[in-house]
Amino acid sequence: MSIINYASREIQFKIVYYGPALCGKTTNLNYIHQRINPMNRGDLVSLATASERTLFFDFLPLNAVVIKGFVTKFQLYTVPGQVIYNATRQLVLRSVDGMVFVADSQWEKMEENVESFKNLADNLVRQNTSIDDMPCVLEYNKRDLPNIAPVNYMEYVLNNRKKRLQSFEVISSTGQNVFAALNAVSQILLHKFSKQNDVPQTALLPVAIPVELPSPQAQDISA
Amino acid sequence: MNAIPVLTIEDVATLDGVLGDFLKKAEAELTVVIDRGGNVISQYGDIDVMDVTVIAALAAGSFAATRELARRIGEIEFNALYHQGNGNHMFMNSVDDDTIMITVFGSRTTVGLVRFYSATTAQNVAGILKTLQHNNQGFSFDAKDISTAPIFSDQ
Repeated sequence: MSIINYASREIQFKIVYYGPALCGKTTNLNYIHQRINPMNRGDLVSLATASERTLFFDFLPLNAVVIKGFVTKFQLYTVPGQVIYNATRQLVLRSVDGMVFVADSQWEKMEENVESFKNLADNLVRQNTSIDDMPCVLEYNKRDLPNIAPVNYMEYVLNNRKKRLQSFEVISSTGQNVFAALNAVSQILLHKFSKQNDVPQTALLPVAIPVELPSPQAQDISA
Repeated sequence: MNAIPVLTIEDVATLDGVLGDFLKKAEAELTVVIDRGGNVISQYGDIDVMDVTVIAALAAGSFAATRELARRIGEIEFNALYHQGNGNHMFMNSVDDDTIMITVFGSRTTVGLVRFYSATTAQNVAGILKTLQHNNQGFSFDAKDISTAPIFSDQ
Protein backbone atom coordinates (compact mmCIF):
# COMPACT_ATOMS: atom_id res chain seq x y z
CA MET A 1 0.00 0.00 0.00
CA SER A 2 1.24 3.44 -0.89
CA ILE A 3 1.90 5.96 1.86
CA ILE A 4 2.10 9.74 1.86
CA ASN A 5 4.64 11.54 4.05
CA TYR A 6 3.66 15.14 4.70
CA ALA A 7 6.98 16.01 6.36
CA SER A 8 9.07 15.11 3.29
CA ARG A 9 6.11 15.71 0.90
CA GLU A 10 6.67 12.32 -0.70
CA ILE A 11 4.28 9.68 -1.99
CA GLN A 12 5.39 6.13 -2.80
CA PHE A 13 3.78 3.72 -5.24
CA LYS A 14 4.76 0.17 -6.10
CA ILE A 15 4.34 -1.09 -9.67
CA VAL A 16 5.02 -4.75 -10.47
CA TYR A 17 5.84 -6.16 -13.93
CA TYR A 18 4.27 -9.63 -14.13
CA GLY A 19 4.22 -12.29 -16.84
CA PRO A 20 5.47 -15.71 -17.94
CA ALA A 21 9.14 -16.72 -18.02
CA LEU A 22 11.30 -14.94 -20.61
CA CYS A 23 8.50 -12.59 -21.71
CA GLY A 24 10.65 -9.45 -21.30
CA LYS A 25 9.88 -8.07 -17.82
CA THR A 26 13.52 -7.43 -16.96
CA THR A 27 14.13 -6.04 -20.47
CA ASN A 28 11.40 -3.46 -19.76
CA LEU A 29 13.18 -2.30 -16.60
CA ASN A 30 16.59 -2.34 -18.31
CA TYR A 31 15.27 -0.10 -21.08
CA ILE A 32 13.64 2.33 -18.63
CA HIS A 33 16.87 2.43 -16.59
CA GLN A 34 18.97 3.16 -19.69
CA ARG A 35 16.71 5.81 -21.18
CA ILE A 36 15.24 7.79 -18.32
CA ASN A 37 16.97 10.91 -17.07
CA PRO A 38 19.54 9.69 -14.49
CA MET A 39 18.39 12.50 -12.17
CA ASN A 40 15.01 10.78 -11.91
CA ARG A 41 16.12 7.26 -11.14
CA GLY A 42 18.10 5.21 -8.64
CA ASP A 43 20.15 2.08 -9.24
CA LEU A 44 18.66 -0.92 -11.01
CA VAL A 45 19.04 -3.84 -8.62
CA SER A 46 18.73 -7.36 -10.07
CA LEU A 47 18.61 -10.46 -7.93
CA ALA A 48 19.27 -12.91 -10.74
CA THR A 49 21.00 -16.25 -11.34
CA ALA A 50 24.36 -16.53 -13.14
CA SER A 51 22.43 -17.05 -16.39
CA GLU A 52 20.56 -13.75 -15.84
CA ARG A 53 17.22 -15.38 -15.02
CA THR A 54 15.38 -13.42 -12.33
CA LEU A 55 15.65 -15.33 -9.07
CA PHE A 56 13.87 -12.97 -6.68
CA PHE A 57 13.10 -9.63 -8.30
CA ASP A 58 14.50 -6.65 -10.18
CA PHE A 59 13.99 -3.26 -8.60
CA LEU A 60 14.17 0.23 -10.07
CA PRO A 61 13.19 3.34 -8.08
CA LEU A 62 11.96 6.37 -10.10
CA ASN A 63 11.13 9.92 -9.00
CA ALA A 64 8.71 12.31 -10.65
CA VAL A 65 6.84 15.49 -9.84
CA VAL A 66 3.33 14.76 -11.04
CA ILE A 67 1.16 15.96 -8.21
CA LYS A 68 1.33 19.58 -7.25
CA GLY A 69 3.62 20.01 -4.26
CA PHE A 70 4.66 16.37 -3.86
CA VAL A 71 7.59 14.23 -5.02
CA THR A 72 6.15 10.96 -6.29
CA LYS A 73 8.33 7.88 -5.97
CA PHE A 74 7.48 4.95 -8.21
CA GLN A 75 9.14 1.68 -7.29
CA LEU A 76 9.23 -0.75 -10.22
CA TYR A 77 9.60 -4.45 -9.48
CA THR A 78 9.62 -7.55 -11.67
CA VAL A 79 8.72 -11.04 -10.51
CA PRO A 80 10.45 -14.29 -11.51
CA GLY A 81 8.32 -15.74 -14.33
CA GLN A 82 9.19 -19.39 -13.89
CA VAL A 83 6.24 -21.41 -12.61
CA ILE A 84 8.09 -22.85 -9.59
CA TYR A 85 8.69 -19.40 -8.07
CA ASN A 86 5.09 -18.64 -7.13
CA ALA A 87 5.91 -18.10 -3.44
CA THR A 88 8.40 -15.41 -4.51
CA ARG A 89 5.82 -13.77 -6.76
CA GLN A 90 3.41 -13.58 -3.83
CA LEU A 91 6.10 -11.87 -1.73
CA VAL A 92 6.86 -9.30 -4.42
CA LEU A 93 3.15 -8.57 -4.90
CA ARG A 94 2.79 -7.52 -1.27
CA SER A 95 1.56 -3.89 -1.03
CA VAL A 96 1.39 -3.56 -4.84
CA ASP A 97 -0.36 -0.46 -6.19
CA GLY A 98 -0.21 -1.07 -9.96
CA MET A 99 0.55 -3.85 -12.44
CA VAL A 100 2.00 -4.20 -15.93
CA PHE A 101 1.25 -7.65 -17.34
CA VAL A 102 3.82 -8.52 -20.01
CA ALA A 103 2.60 -11.15 -22.47
CA ASP A 104 4.81 -12.88 -25.01
CA SER A 105 3.20 -12.47 -28.46
CA GLN A 106 4.62 -15.70 -29.91
CA TRP A 107 1.99 -18.33 -30.72
CA GLU A 108 3.75 -21.06 -28.75
CA LYS A 109 3.76 -18.86 -25.60
CA MET A 110 0.00 -18.27 -25.56
CA GLU A 111 -0.74 -21.06 -23.08
CA GLU A 112 1.98 -19.73 -20.73
CA ASN A 113 0.49 -16.21 -21.04
CA VAL A 114 -2.95 -17.46 -20.03
CA GLU A 115 -1.50 -19.54 -17.21
CA SER A 116 0.51 -16.60 -15.89
CA PHE A 117 -2.46 -14.23 -16.09
CA LYS A 118 -4.59 -16.72 -14.16
CA ASN A 119 -1.76 -17.04 -11.63
CA LEU A 120 -1.70 -13.23 -11.27
CA ALA A 121 -5.47 -13.16 -10.68
CA ASP A 122 -5.15 -15.90 -8.02
CA ASN A 123 -2.25 -14.15 -6.31
CA LEU A 124 -4.11 -10.82 -6.24
CA VAL A 125 -7.05 -12.54 -4.54
CA ARG A 126 -4.58 -13.67 -1.86
CA GLN A 127 -3.76 -9.96 -1.39
CA ASN A 128 -7.49 -9.25 -0.95
CA THR A 129 -7.70 -7.44 -4.27
CA SER A 130 -8.46 -8.32 -7.91
CA ILE A 131 -7.55 -7.45 -11.50
CA ASP A 132 -10.69 -5.28 -11.69
CA ASP A 133 -9.67 -3.23 -8.63
CA MET A 134 -5.97 -2.98 -9.50
CA PRO A 135 -4.59 -0.33 -11.88
CA CYS A 136 -3.25 -2.61 -14.61
CA VAL A 137 -2.18 -2.44 -18.26
CA LEU A 138 -1.25 -5.18 -20.73
CA GLU A 139 1.89 -5.29 -22.86
CA TYR A 140 1.87 -7.53 -25.95
CA ASN A 141 5.63 -7.86 -26.20
CA LYS A 142 8.01 -9.09 -28.93
CA ARG A 143 5.91 -7.64 -31.78
CA ASP A 144 9.05 -7.70 -33.97
CA LEU A 145 9.21 -11.51 -34.08
CA PRO A 146 7.86 -13.43 -37.11
CA ASN A 147 5.68 -16.06 -35.36
CA ILE A 148 3.37 -13.78 -33.40
CA ALA A 149 -0.37 -13.86 -32.82
CA PRO A 150 -2.44 -10.94 -34.13
CA VAL A 151 -3.26 -8.29 -31.54
CA ASN A 152 -7.00 -8.88 -31.70
CA TYR A 153 -6.39 -12.56 -30.92
CA MET A 154 -4.30 -11.61 -27.88
CA GLU A 155 -7.08 -9.25 -26.80
CA TYR A 156 -9.54 -12.14 -27.10
CA VAL A 157 -7.30 -14.45 -25.07
CA LEU A 158 -6.12 -12.05 -22.34
CA ASN A 159 -8.45 -9.06 -22.30
CA ASN A 160 -11.90 -10.42 -23.02
CA ARG A 161 -13.72 -9.25 -19.92
CA LYS A 162 -16.35 -6.74 -18.91
CA LYS A 163 -13.81 -4.18 -17.69
CA ARG A 164 -11.09 -4.30 -20.35
CA LEU A 165 -7.54 -3.19 -19.64
CA GLN A 166 -5.55 -0.74 -21.72
CA SER A 167 -3.07 -2.68 -23.88
CA PHE A 168 0.07 -1.84 -25.85
CA GLU A 169 2.02 -3.43 -28.69
CA VAL A 170 5.53 -3.48 -27.29
CA ILE A 171 9.04 -4.34 -28.41
CA SER A 172 10.87 -4.12 -25.10
CA SER A 173 14.30 -4.76 -26.68
CA THR A 174 14.03 -1.54 -28.73
CA GLY A 175 11.80 0.28 -26.25
CA GLN A 176 8.71 0.60 -28.45
CA ASN A 177 5.79 1.56 -26.19
CA VAL A 178 7.71 0.67 -23.01
CA PHE A 179 7.31 4.22 -21.67
CA ALA A 180 3.75 4.45 -23.02
CA ALA A 181 2.72 1.44 -20.90
CA LEU A 182 4.54 2.78 -17.82
CA ASN A 183 2.96 6.21 -18.20
CA ALA A 184 -0.49 4.67 -18.69
CA VAL A 185 -0.36 2.54 -15.54
CA SER A 186 1.04 5.50 -13.57
CA GLN A 187 -1.82 7.75 -14.68
CA ILE A 188 -4.45 5.12 -13.88
CA LEU A 189 -2.82 4.62 -10.49
CA LEU A 190 -2.74 8.34 -9.67
CA HIS A 191 -6.34 8.83 -10.76
CA LYS A 192 -7.43 5.96 -8.54
CA PHE A 193 -6.53 8.21 -5.61
CA SER A 194 -8.04 11.38 -7.03
CA LYS A 195 -11.27 12.80 -5.64
CA GLN A 196 -12.92 12.68 -9.06
CA ASN A 197 -11.59 9.20 -9.86
CA ASP A 198 -11.77 10.03 -13.59
CA VAL A 199 -9.27 7.72 -15.24
CA PRO A 200 -8.21 9.08 -18.66
CA GLN A 201 -9.92 7.05 -21.34
CA THR A 202 -8.15 5.80 -24.45
CA ALA A 203 -9.43 3.73 -27.35
CA LEU A 204 -9.18 0.01 -26.72
CA LEU A 205 -7.81 -2.39 -29.29
CA PRO A 206 -10.35 -4.63 -31.07
CA VAL A 207 -11.04 -8.13 -29.81
CA ALA A 208 -11.02 -11.03 -32.28
CA ILE A 209 -14.40 -12.59 -32.90
CA PRO A 210 -13.88 -16.33 -32.55
CA VAL A 211 -14.76 -18.12 -35.78
CA GLU A 212 -15.47 -21.83 -35.72
CA LEU A 213 -13.32 -23.44 -38.36
CA PRO A 214 -15.03 -26.08 -40.56
CA SER A 215 -14.18 -29.59 -39.43
CA PRO A 216 -12.04 -31.72 -41.80
CA GLN A 217 -15.08 -33.99 -42.33
CA ALA A 218 -17.24 -31.08 -43.49
CA GLN A 219 -14.48 -30.00 -45.86
CA ASP A 220 -14.40 -33.51 -47.36
CA ILE A 221 -18.16 -33.46 -48.02
CA SER A 222 -18.05 -30.12 -49.78
CA ALA A 223 -15.14 -31.34 -51.88
CA MET B 1 -12.77 7.10 -4.06
CA ASN B 2 -9.63 5.56 -2.56
CA ALA B 3 -7.49 7.31 0.03
CA ILE B 4 -3.79 7.00 0.76
CA PRO B 5 -2.65 6.58 4.39
CA VAL B 6 -1.04 9.79 5.60
CA LEU B 7 1.89 10.48 7.89
CA THR B 8 1.35 14.05 9.10
CA ILE B 9 4.23 16.33 10.10
CA GLU B 10 3.32 15.62 13.75
CA ASP B 11 3.34 11.83 13.15
CA VAL B 12 6.76 12.03 11.51
CA ALA B 13 8.06 14.17 14.41
CA THR B 14 6.79 11.59 16.94
CA LEU B 15 8.41 8.72 15.03
CA ASP B 16 11.63 10.73 14.63
CA GLY B 17 11.72 11.29 18.40
CA VAL B 18 11.47 7.55 19.12
CA LEU B 19 13.97 6.58 16.39
CA GLY B 20 16.42 9.36 17.35
CA ASP B 21 16.39 8.24 20.96
CA PHE B 22 17.02 4.65 19.83
CA LEU B 23 20.00 5.61 17.63
CA LYS B 24 21.53 7.61 20.47
CA LYS B 25 21.22 4.78 22.99
CA ALA B 26 22.24 1.99 20.60
CA GLU B 27 24.98 4.14 19.01
CA ALA B 28 23.84 3.03 15.56
CA GLU B 29 24.12 4.99 12.28
CA LEU B 30 20.74 4.67 10.62
CA THR B 31 17.32 3.23 11.27
CA VAL B 32 14.50 2.81 8.76
CA VAL B 33 10.93 1.70 9.38
CA ILE B 34 9.44 0.02 6.31
CA ASP B 35 6.30 -1.87 5.43
CA ARG B 36 6.67 -5.48 4.33
CA GLY B 37 6.12 -4.46 0.73
CA GLY B 38 9.37 -2.44 0.82
CA ASN B 39 7.91 1.08 1.21
CA VAL B 40 9.77 3.46 3.53
CA ILE B 41 7.53 4.71 6.36
CA SER B 42 10.13 6.63 8.37
CA GLN B 43 13.90 6.98 8.53
CA TYR B 44 16.37 8.58 10.88
CA GLY B 45 20.13 8.95 11.01
CA ASP B 46 22.94 9.21 8.50
CA ILE B 47 20.76 8.78 5.40
CA ASP B 48 22.94 10.68 2.92
CA VAL B 49 25.48 7.88 2.55
CA MET B 50 23.00 5.15 1.63
CA ASP B 51 20.16 4.68 -0.83
CA VAL B 52 17.40 4.03 1.69
CA THR B 53 14.85 3.13 -1.02
CA VAL B 54 17.00 0.26 -2.29
CA ILE B 55 17.87 -0.88 1.24
CA ALA B 56 14.14 -0.98 2.07
CA ALA B 57 13.25 -3.06 -1.02
CA LEU B 58 16.06 -5.54 -0.43
CA ALA B 59 15.50 -5.78 3.33
CA ALA B 60 11.78 -6.49 2.85
CA GLY B 61 12.75 -9.23 0.38
CA SER B 62 15.40 -10.64 2.69
CA PHE B 63 13.02 -10.69 5.64
CA ALA B 64 10.27 -12.37 3.64
CA ALA B 65 12.63 -14.91 2.08
CA THR B 66 13.64 -16.35 5.45
CA ARG B 67 10.04 -17.00 6.41
CA GLU B 68 10.00 -20.40 4.74
CA LEU B 69 13.28 -21.25 6.48
CA ALA B 70 11.66 -20.38 9.82
CA ARG B 71 8.70 -22.63 9.06
CA ARG B 72 11.08 -25.58 8.61
CA ILE B 73 12.00 -25.36 12.26
CA GLY B 74 8.46 -24.81 13.47
CA GLU B 75 8.47 -20.99 13.64
CA ILE B 76 5.98 -18.70 11.88
CA GLU B 77 8.83 -16.37 10.96
CA PHE B 78 12.14 -15.16 12.36
CA ASN B 79 11.31 -11.96 14.22
CA ALA B 80 14.88 -10.67 13.92
CA LEU B 81 17.69 -11.04 11.38
CA TYR B 82 21.32 -10.01 11.62
CA HIS B 83 23.68 -9.53 8.68
CA GLN B 84 27.30 -9.21 9.75
CA GLY B 85 29.78 -7.33 7.61
CA ASN B 86 33.44 -6.44 8.12
CA GLY B 87 32.81 -2.88 9.28
CA ASN B 88 29.10 -2.28 8.87
CA HIS B 89 26.27 -4.53 9.94
CA MET B 90 22.51 -4.67 9.61
CA PHE B 91 19.91 -5.74 12.13
CA MET B 92 16.26 -6.18 11.18
CA ASN B 93 13.40 -6.85 13.53
CA SER B 94 9.67 -7.21 13.20
CA VAL B 95 7.57 -4.27 14.44
CA ASP B 96 4.12 -5.70 13.70
CA ASP B 97 2.42 -7.86 11.05
CA ASP B 98 2.94 -5.18 8.39
CA THR B 99 6.11 -3.41 9.47
CA ILE B 100 9.84 -4.05 9.87
CA MET B 101 12.57 -1.94 11.43
CA ILE B 102 16.07 -1.92 9.91
CA THR B 103 19.15 -0.68 11.79
CA VAL B 104 22.56 -0.11 10.20
CA PHE B 105 25.46 0.14 12.63
CA GLY B 106 29.24 0.17 12.64
CA SER B 107 32.08 -0.87 14.92
CA ARG B 108 31.43 1.66 17.71
CA THR B 109 28.55 -0.46 19.03
CA THR B 110 27.59 -4.13 19.31
CA VAL B 111 24.76 -6.26 17.98
CA GLY B 112 23.72 -6.98 21.58
CA LEU B 113 23.18 -3.30 22.32
CA VAL B 114 21.29 -2.75 19.06
CA ARG B 115 19.13 -5.83 19.68
CA PHE B 116 18.40 -4.75 23.27
CA TYR B 117 17.21 -1.24 22.42
CA SER B 118 15.49 -2.20 19.17
CA ALA B 119 13.03 -4.45 21.02
CA THR B 120 11.51 -1.59 23.06
CA THR B 121 11.76 0.80 20.10
CA ALA B 122 9.81 -1.64 17.92
CA GLN B 123 7.08 -1.79 20.57
CA ASN B 124 6.91 2.01 20.71
CA VAL B 125 6.81 2.30 16.89
CA ALA B 126 4.07 -0.35 16.72
CA GLY B 127 2.03 1.68 19.24
CA ILE B 128 2.41 4.88 17.18
CA LEU B 129 1.47 3.13 13.93
CA LYS B 130 -1.58 1.55 15.56
CA THR B 131 -2.78 5.00 16.68
CA LEU B 132 -2.23 6.28 13.13
CA GLN B 133 -4.34 3.50 11.63
CA HIS B 134 -7.22 4.37 13.97
CA ASN B 135 -7.08 8.12 13.41
CA ASN B 136 -6.12 8.17 9.73
CA GLN B 137 -8.64 9.82 7.42
CA GLY B 138 -6.42 9.24 4.38
CA PHE B 139 -5.66 11.64 1.57
CA SER B 140 -6.79 11.92 -2.02
CA PHE B 141 -5.73 14.39 -4.69
CA ASP B 142 -7.68 16.78 -6.77
CA ALA B 143 -7.60 15.39 -10.32
CA LYS B 144 -6.54 18.82 -11.61
CA ASP B 145 -3.37 18.62 -9.47
CA ILE B 146 -2.17 15.59 -11.45
CA SER B 147 0.06 16.45 -14.38
CA THR B 148 -1.45 15.56 -17.74
CA ALA B 149 1.95 15.44 -19.45
CA PRO B 150 3.67 12.04 -19.76
CA ILE B 151 5.15 11.27 -16.35
CA PHE B 152 8.28 9.56 -17.65
CA SER B 153 10.00 10.32 -20.93
CA ASP B 154 12.38 8.41 -23.17
CA GLN B 155 15.52 10.57 -23.39
